[in-house]
Amino acid sequence: MNAVALAAAGDSERRALRFLAELSQALAESLDLRATLNMAVTRIADFMQAEAASLFLLDHAGLIECRICVGPVDITGLKLAVGQGVVGRCVADNATQIVRDASRDARVNIRVDAETGFATRSILCAPLSNARGPIGALEVINRRDGSLFDEDDAEILRLVAAPAALAIGNAQLAHGLVEQQRIKRELELARRMQKSMLPRRRRGDFPIRGVNLPAHEISGDFYDFFDLADGRLAFVIGDVSGKGLDAAFLMVRVASMLRWIGARAPAPGAWLGEVNAELCRTLQDGRFVCAAVGQYDRASGEVRLASAGFPPALLHDAGEFEELPADGPPLGILAEADYGEREFVLGARALYLFSDGATDVRTGATDRLGEAGLRGLIARHAALAPEPRLRAVIGDLKRLRLVDDTTLLLVQEPCGAQAHGLLDLDFPAQATQMRSVRAALRHALDAQGIAPELRDQLVLAVDEACTNVIRHAYGGECTRRIALHVARERDMLAFELRDQAPAIDPGCLKPRDLSECKPGGLGLPFIAATMDDWKLEPAADGRGNILRMHKRIDIGEHE
Amino acid sequence: MSDPENACVSEDLGGYTLVRVRGEVDLSWSQQVRDAILAALGRGGVGVELAQVTYIDSSGIAALVEGFQRARSKGERFGLIAASKQVLAVLQLARLDKVFPLFADTDSARNA
Repeated sequence: MNAVALAAAGDSERRALRFLAELSQALAESLDLRATLNMAVTRIADFMQAEAASLFLLDHAGLIECRICVGPVDITGLKLAVGQGVVGRCVADNATQIVRDASRDARVNIRVDAETGFATRSILCAPLSNARGPIGALEVINRRDGSLFDEDDAEILRLVAAPAALAIGNAQLAHGLVEQQRIKRELELARRMQKSMLPRRRRGDFPIRGVNLPAHEISGDFYDFFDLADGRLAFVIGDVSGKGLDAAFLMVRVASMLRWIGARAPAPGAWLGEVNAELCRTLQDGRFVCAAVGQYDRASGEVRLASAGFPPALLHDAGEFEELPADGPPLGILAEADYGEREFVLGARALYLFSDGATDVRTGATDRLGEAGLRGLIARHAALAPEPRLRAVIGDLKRLRLVDDTTLLLVQEPCGAQAHGLLDLDFPAQATQMRSVRAALRHALDAQGIAPELRDQLVLAVDEACTNVIRHAYGGECTRRIALHVARERDMLAFELRDQAPAIDPGCLKPRDLSECKPGGLGLPFIAATMDDWKLEPAADGRGNILRMHKRIDIGEHE
Repeated sequence: MSDPENACVSEDLGGYTLVRVRGEVDLSWSQQVRDAILAALGRGGVGVELAQVTYIDSSGIAALVEGFQRARSKGERFGLIAASKQVLAVLQLARLDKVFPLFADTDSARNA
């Protein structure tokens, strides 16, 4: 190589490096990948003095698609198999291809030329690849001056391909993350929509209560209850086969159907029959729905119930369980299925309907709770009023391991709304008594399914109230008594503390400001911060004081 | 300290005293915790380890506050070490969780 040629070669290398630097920067700074790649391919075509240039990317189906193309013939959208043509060979081998004379090269796909009239003479094609292998290819066709591409051109195209591959890889990664976020948001939205379909808990002495615990974001379980025109109450519980989004969609559809048909108050067997016929017409791929439906007449106490493959309902009364098995197969399997129904008077009994998630709860690595286990849980909390009982059962299930969507429906007349006592203690005013008082109170609150954080705070507040009595009302430890009574009425916990000390002026009790850091006087602020209200008053018979404290506990809309 | 689960033991680490408290700190023996903390002052720094404390009432918190304030007035270090979640909950309720220096272990308290 003579000096002039050497200088020219040096000059062209400098030019190539400058171009590469500019291109890399443009790609690195790119926010709009498509626009930037368009610009990049145009600039590559100009720099390489090529008549045409195109960028191909591998798609999910494993085909190589032309995504960007500059030149006289637009082949954007053209798809090639890996190994097919020059581009396909380039991707298959992950190696740069040079075609010096296209008319005599077997790799060249002659179909495009034949269709477009474009005459391909010379081709350079460099793979776009990342650490995991090829993701596409960059192709330039025909030098504008009619000469052929050489090894130097191939080397330059190979260098240019690197930043392009990097930019595409980054953009694909970013797109993937955005997509993940979008799916997460949509699942959350679906979860909220599903939750909003469940009926609102009715306050007062309403006899039907339901709880739905999805095992994941979305649930295939549902329950519903609504008023019928004749004054009866209708209720529904169901479990759609499968999991995930398609089960959730089917659940929404079936829940709407059951409500739509159920609103006309058909007999429960006919109600299931209609929904079954419709589902058999439209359900595919072997999916089905287990459901139980019923009507309850509060005036007569009569229940009519029908079950399509749903786990046996349980009637519970004074320690005795009666099992009500299904009346027919799950919905969506047998178009001609006939559903019987049963009638009984509920009386003071409790009717439990539960999806199989409740019995599938794991008690060990593989052991299921089973129906006997669930009966045991129900029996254990039988003394509680319906609402706290359902909460306590759910609390127990949650402490075990849920593996499936779990839904419980309880139909029972509230046995009067009177408060029921949870704890009665009478102990001498001595600090050493407090440990066992706290233990007894913790135990009583646990039985109500109260969360440990709130339980601990309530125990602290009651303890502070007791020690205030010891220290201030009695003026120190003594053998006189303190009586603690804890009761619950629906969602209200009531604490009552009686002493026999001289009457205290309630006006002198004011919780101090906690923003001040000083050792004493924290007891009353703890009580004030924990309880919804508290009040100290002299006992009616003039002997001693009574401190009454109340705390409303959140029993949750649907858990 | 009639209950065998309750205990309060001081350990001299040389220029730093570690007071380990265990059990349910309530009115029945919080005075002993207070005495132990106050006795530990004046030797460079005090750390009160509360990992095994399953309950603390306002009298127990008061003992900690008093120790903290006295240490500060003498320019001594004072920190709570490995406070259990029950202790943290009560500190939060008393809005003292931002007041006390809290440490995960003895070493980080000594080197603070």
